[in-house]
Amino acid sequence: MQLHQILVSATPSDAITNSVFELRKLLRQIGPSEIFARHVHPDLADEVIELSKYFRVASHHPSDDVLLYHASIGEPSVYEFITQRRERLVLVYHNIAPAAAFEPYDPAFAQLLTDGRHNLAALKDQVTMALCDSEYNAAELVALGYADVRVSRLIVDPRALVDMASDEETTEHVNIAVEGPMALFVGQLLPHKRVDLLVEAFHILSTYLLPEANLVIAGSPRLPRFAAAFEQQIAELGLSRIRLTGAIPARELRSLYQRADLWVTASDHEGFLVPLLEAMSFEVPIVARGTAAIPETLGGAGLLLDPSDGPLMMAEAWCEVIDNESLRADLIARGKSRLDDFTPESARVQVLEHLASIL
Amino acid sequence: MNPSDHSEVDQLIDELRARVVERRKAGFYPEGLEEELGEHFRHIVAHRRASNLDPVRESLELLDRRGAFGRSRIALTTSIPGGQFAHRAIGKAVSRQTTGILQQLQEFGDATRQVFVKLVDALEDPYGHVHIDMVGQLDALWERVAAWERGPVESAAALADLRRRVEELEAREQARRFTPSYTADAFETAFRGSAEDLKDRYQEVAAAFVEHSPVLDIGCGRGEFIELLKALDVKASGVEIDPLLVSEGKAAGLDIAEGDGIRHLAGLKDRSLGGIVLLQVVEHLTTQGVIDLVAIAKHKLRKGGMILVETVNPQSLYTFAHSFYLDPTHGNPVHPAYLTFLFEQARWREVEIMWRSPPPSDDVLEVEEGISETAAANIKRLNQLLFAPQDYALVAYR
Repeated sequence: MQLHQILVSATPSDAITNSVFELRKLLRQIGPSEIFARHVHPDLADEVIELSKYFRVASHHPSDDVLLYHASIGEPSVYEFITQRRERLVLVYHNIAPAAAFEPYDPAFAQLLTDGRHNLAALKDQVTMALCDSEYNAAELVALGYADVRVSRLIVDPRALVDMASDEETTEHVNIAVEGPMALFVGQLLPHKRVDLLVEAFHILSTYLLPEANLVIAGSPRLPRFAAAFEQQIAELGLSRIRLTGAIPARELRSLYQRADLWVTASDHEGFLVPLLEAMSFEVPIVARGTAAIPETLGGAGLLLDPSDGPLMMAEAWCEVIDNESLRADLIARGKSRLDDFTPESARVQVLEHLASIL
Repeated sequence: MNPSDHSEVDQLIDELRARVVERRKAGFYPEGLEEELGEHFRHIVAHRRASNLDPVRESLELLDRRGAFGRSRIALTTSIPGGQFAHRAIGKAVSRQTTGILQQLQEFGDATRQVFVKLVDALEDPYGHVHIDMVGQLDALWERVAAWERGPVESAAALADLRRRVEELEAREQARRFTPSYTADAFETAFRGSAEDLKDRYQEVAAAFVEHSPVLDIGCGRGEFIELLKALDVKASGVEIDPLLVSEGKAAGLDIAEGDGIRHLAGLKDRSLGGIVLLQVVEHLTTQGVIDLVAIAKHKLRKGGMILVETVNPQSLYTFAHSFYLDPTHGNPVHPAYLTFLFEQARWREVEIMWRSPPPSDDVLEVEEGISETAAANIKRLNQLLFAPQDYALVAYR
């Protein structure tokens, strides 16, 4: 019996790609297991196989085998491939970003997201079991009519980042060049992450409340038109204390987490949000808006604002967390205890149990 | 985590929300700030110009689709019967040369295409073709604009407000300016009488200070009162603002400092005086100056020390017709009831008023014999109102 994983694109230090590698370790304990992707980043060419080469491993008795399909976007060729296979299909659902947010920047990409949702609905009868990394994601599949939907935590180990050595140059830079309190956001610069709201809140924070505050935004600018608009927004507001790092290696990310006084997000849509766990591991208090799966992942271990709260409220909350020592200590303690719910060991056991039930 | 922890955080969120509402209302945050910021970003998104290099990229794609150079793309069709065979035969004969030419063309085409691709990439990267100094200057400008925007108040308004306040102060100072053409000495001689007259008038007052050495005479003039005290073996010094009077007093061997009386008093050691006297001085002080005097004097006197403040009595209308407006430097007459109130509020002990300098009996209305009782009573009341004592002295102890 073979258990292979299919995903649209494999990119280094991407949360889904990381979890796919973790899962492969586990699947290989059961049988041969490879990863296939439509788009493979050159750095991962040795680990991930092009989807077009799947026929090389496909067995003659496909119904004995299992395909785990990681859904996070639509891609016509991947969907077509899936619908033509006769292996048992396990859907691993990471949620699909809302198409409307991408419409003004990249209509073609928005169309892929819309297709992704349609395909998701169409796949429901072919899928044997669906695994979701949050209750929020599970609820969406149940609403689409999926029969067997289970919540299975993502296999992530945020402590791995803590145990890694920091990048010395970055550490030195953030310790010396960044004066005053530092807020950190980690994530791709995409419209539904609402980094524009972060900038608005920071404008208020640094103009009216804490002029010496800093905001570091660490993530790759995936959508050129959005990234350009976002950079223009920062430039026009004259916010020289916002720093955009672009995509950075894990060691540099570690230096940022270590220096950060506060972790912030204004995201409208998240299926899970791994950086929340990373912030907790680095004992950085979190302020977030209570949208999508964020309240569930946070589990009370952060200052959770209402989805209707705007940049004024966000700025006040950031300021409070920076200034209020006892609140910080409380949030950090909550984060530490919340991490116990997300050990990679328990996530592995969960996945194995779910898979065993269908094999 | 127990549920009570949650409610604490919820409560904090509520507090923050209330703070936002309050600060909005108080104008700490400008009205419509959030809406403006949101609109700013929407505007950028809506008006951002799409790259004008798109048509170039499209042309490049078209070029790619044309495919490679090849002999198969050379048409052999001809209208001459059998011509196709001839073309084919010729083509075959020179195939080596044709292939060589096509290969060179392909290489040139590929290289040219590469140049275009690189050119478009370079044009799209602003840092590639914007002068680096200009970027630096823009950065510096952004920094300055940001610092300006972060200022606590709108700067132009703040400057205007400061200018207005300075102008007000200048106007007030201008109104206070007083540079007489005569000397204080000449004025004293003309209107206050001779040194001997003054000594006669204050002999009794000086006697009251016998047990209160040392005494400070604030606004001592030429120092006549100090001389009276010295004659009674009371240690005494004075302070006077007019330099001419000071030099006269000093010439007479008296201990007189030149300067502002209240400031001089404030500079003395606490509890270093037994008595303080101000004769015809408080009517020259500002309203605040009187209040300061009452407070500071108490610190400078020993326990049991005495202060005597003699001034014009504003309850006597006669005063205003004669002495008060004779001196143009008289500011505010101080009402005895108000002065008493000030001393009592500052917890001075045994605050008392003594009436002094009744108007000359010649000026007072006479009651002729034989007039009606009512007329006599009226005259008495008029006398009380018009001819009350011209001065009063407040005495108080620490």
